[in-house]
Amino acid sequence: MAIVFAVQAITGAGPVIAFPLYLAVVMMSAYRLARIESLAVGAVAGVAIVAVPGLVAGQRADAIAAIILAAALLGIAFAVGELVQRSKDAAAISSRTIDTLNVERQRLEALIESASVGLGLAALDGAWVRVNDRLAAIAGRGADEMAATSLIDLVAERERAALESAVAMLRSGDVTRWDSETVLARPDDREVAVALFAARTASTDAPMLLVQATDISARIHADAIRDCAAAVRQVIAGSLSWEQSMPQVLEAVASHLGWSVAIHWTVDTDRGVLRAREGWSQPGALLEAFLEASRRTVIPAGTGLPGRAWQGGVLAAEQDALPGLQPERVEVARNAGLRSALAFPLLDTGVVIGVIELVATTERVVDEAEVTMLAGIGVEIGQFIRRSETAQALRRSEADHRAIYERSPIGIARIGSEGDLLEANPALLKMLEHDEATMQGTVWHDLLRAYDQAAARHHQAPLLAGISDGGSVQIRAATGGGRWLWLQMTATSIPDSSGRLEHVLVLVEDVTTVRETSDKLAEALEAQRDANINLEKLDRTKSEFLSIVSHEFRTALTGIQGFSELIRDGGLEADEVRAYGAYIFNDADRVNRLIGDMLDLDRMESGRMTMRTGNVDINEVLNEAIARAVPGAITVDFKADLDPRLPVVAGDRDRLIQVVSNLVNNAVKYSPEGGTVTLSSRAEEGFALISVTDSGIGIPADEIGHVFERFRRVRSGAAQSIPGTGLGLTIVKQIVEMHGGKIWVESAVGMGSSFHFTIPLAAEAAAPLQLHHG
Amino acid sequence: MGDAGALVGTPPITVLVADDNDVAQRLCRRVLEKAGFGVLIAGDGLQAVDSALRQRPAMILMDVAMPGIDGLEAMRRIKAEIPSMPIVIASAHSMASDRERFLAAGADDVLSKPFRLADLVSIVQKLARPTQ
Repeated sequence: MAIVFAVQAITGAGPVIAFPLYLAVVMMSAYRLARIESLAVGAVAGVAIVAVPGLVAGQRADAIAAIILAAALLGIAFAVGELVQRSKDAAAISSRTIDTLNVERQRLEALIESASVGLGLAALDGAWVRVNDRLAAIAGRGADEMAATSLIDLVAERERAALESAVAMLRSGDVTRWDSETVLARPDDREVAVALFAARTASTDAPMLLVQATDISARIHADAIRDCAAAVRQVIAGSLSWEQSMPQVLEAVASHLGWSVAIHWTVDTDRGVLRAREGWSQPGALLEAFLEASRRTVIPAGTGLPGRAWQGGVLAAEQDALPGLQPERVEVARNAGLRSALAFPLLDTGVVIGVIELVATTERVVDEAEVTMLAGIGVEIGQFIRRSETAQALRRSEADHRAIYERSPIGIARIGSEGDLLEANPALLKMLEHDEATMQGTVWHDLLRAYDQAAARHHQAPLLAGISDGGSVQIRAATGGGRWLWLQMTATSIPDSSGRLEHVLVLVEDVTTVRETSDKLAEALEAQRDANINLEKLDRTKSEFLSIVSHEFRTALTGIQGFSELIRDGGLEADEVRAYGAYIFNDADRVNRLIGDMLDLDRMESGRMTMRTGNVDINEVLNEAIARAVPGAITVDFKADLDPRLPVVAGDRDRLIQVVSNLVNNAVKYSPEGGTVTLSSRAEEGFALISVTDSGIGIPADEIGHVFERFRRVRSGAAQSIPGTGLGLTIVKQIVEMHGGKIWVESAVGMGSSFHFTIPLAAEAAAPLQLHHG
Repeated sequence: MGDAGALVGTPPITVLVADDNDVAQRLCRRVLEKAGFGVLIAGDGLQAVDSALRQRPAMILMDVAMPGIDGLEAMRRIKAEIPSMPIVIASAHSMASDRERFLAAGADDVLSKPFRLADLVSIVQKLARPTQ
């Protein structure tokens, strides 16, 4: 402008020439400058066109023309400025949009590349168009390798069919989105778990597949660890014996964590080695061969992974375990393709009681989470093994006790604190021949009552009061079959763990045989004792008898020997010899009678005496006895008071004469000179009653009970010199009793004696007698 | 005439025979009188005690089995009064244990029945001393 102004001024060009110049300047400034500036330029230019020539040339230009020119310039400046402004605004906007787009694009690229998920764009057949680094990384391939593959090539062989059908559906448009969890197989043989998402892009002209792949192996691994622990716990929780559940435990651990083989080693403390107890493997002959080899292997402490886990009490792992394997197992392990291994201890209260060894056909990296989990379940499994062993021991013990209870030959009743029968074992039911219901109903309470009664008799506590004593009594009880038994009942209280009475066991033994045997034994002993007493008495009696008999004999022999010695020595008068001979004869006769009486008595007592029984007329016997009475020194009067109607008796006539003669002779012997002896007979209740009564010296009260005993002669007072064998009355009594009769005596000193005896009447004689009396 | 009565005018030494058996009484009397002794007879234990205490024989020939009190009881009573009185138990209880029993009861000697007459005489001669 200044240049134009200067040119104009110098040249002094007229407005016609200056105008186009100014126009150009204005237009340029309008284009270059802001709107106000260009307007100002226009105005100045307008003034300059008009004013400059006048100033310079001093000529006065046409004012109107100048004003018009200035206005035109102003207008042009304005219009051009406006135009320029507008176009500038538009350009700015457009430039800004492009910048933004570029930024966005860069960001997106960065986002795609830096995404933690794999992203890719594939053709509808799955061929990759574009993949991000992440996807290539997940797939374990470089970007160029990726370009040569398709989506389908990435997944593991086993997943391929599923993916192919998914891609087919996307291609056909049946589905537009598909997602799944699958496994990618990497060229390095590792597999990666991925969440795969594929969507068909919306553009219709060239639809493509947008693929998103997320590496979820960490999550899957974490899940596997969690699931593994849960599965092991579940197996343990649902199992009673560790032997039964160990295969499941091994399978749970190995399959959840992706190990091919799992082996449970137990500690053989005696030998100081580990022995394979249980094993699990994935299907496959080679793996099973490895298991088999392991079973034949023993591992000393500190050797191999299991040995180290045992010795150290902590998990041990090797990515390449083959070199550390026992020689027995190396070859089979190699054949089976085994590589990584770990072993973790099974601990119970800090003590290693076993080891679980895991072996994989892949190279397995064991991470912290897995180590932690395995350490945890190692403790749980260890505790479970110990618990289950304890429980098994308990069960065994319980089973033993149950067997004792069930099979014991002793009856066992379990009763409550009220005495009610809770349970009766088979032996008790069989013993008592009742079913359990009957036992519980009445039988048991009857038994308890019997127990208490028996206990009371023996000053023992009742069963329920005395259960702590283990009291025992024997009772008599009837069985359901009506047999009577002796039962020995013993109560034993069983306290619970707190010492409170829980229940009572009552042991019931059938002691019938024992009891009866002991009773019989006691009876036998009693009898034996009685027999011994009798024998002793008999022995004493025999000794006494011998003593008495020898005394009697020696007394008689004293006279015989002494007087015969006198006679032998000679020098005697004839009458002396005669008198001494009489003494000798009498004593010899006495000895003879004594012997006869003794033999008679012996025969009678031993039952060897035979009786010639027939019908005997007692009256005739009495008369004959009177006739035969010894006509001795003493003279007595005989009186007969006989019943003429007395029927005959059944007896031995000679023996009956012996009886009566004996009594008569006694009566005579003990009678005073001129005394009376009375014989009487009469019938009484089927018997003949015979009495011989004397008026003699009588029998003292202390002797009367003994008159029928041997050698019990009444010696006192006047009787001292009365001869006799001392056996007469004993023989009389025997004969009477042999006939089925009785004999007795009534007497008092000085009042005489009455001997009475009875003899049964003969059978045919009894009938007329009854007629007679009837 | 026996030796004991050889001295004319000397009263014979008296022997008491206590026995309930009349044959024994007769035998003893016959034998002892022949041997020169005076013979007293007692038929039972009480008579023997009575006779012994009152008549003081030089010795006593005592049976055991007698009515009333027996010979041993009679001997005890007599010895209680006259401890020096020689008493010979003459009994048909003649077992060994009986002999011991009688000696233990205080008998000076025992003569078992039946006896040899010479034994009777010698035992009496041994123990019978003239009454002082």
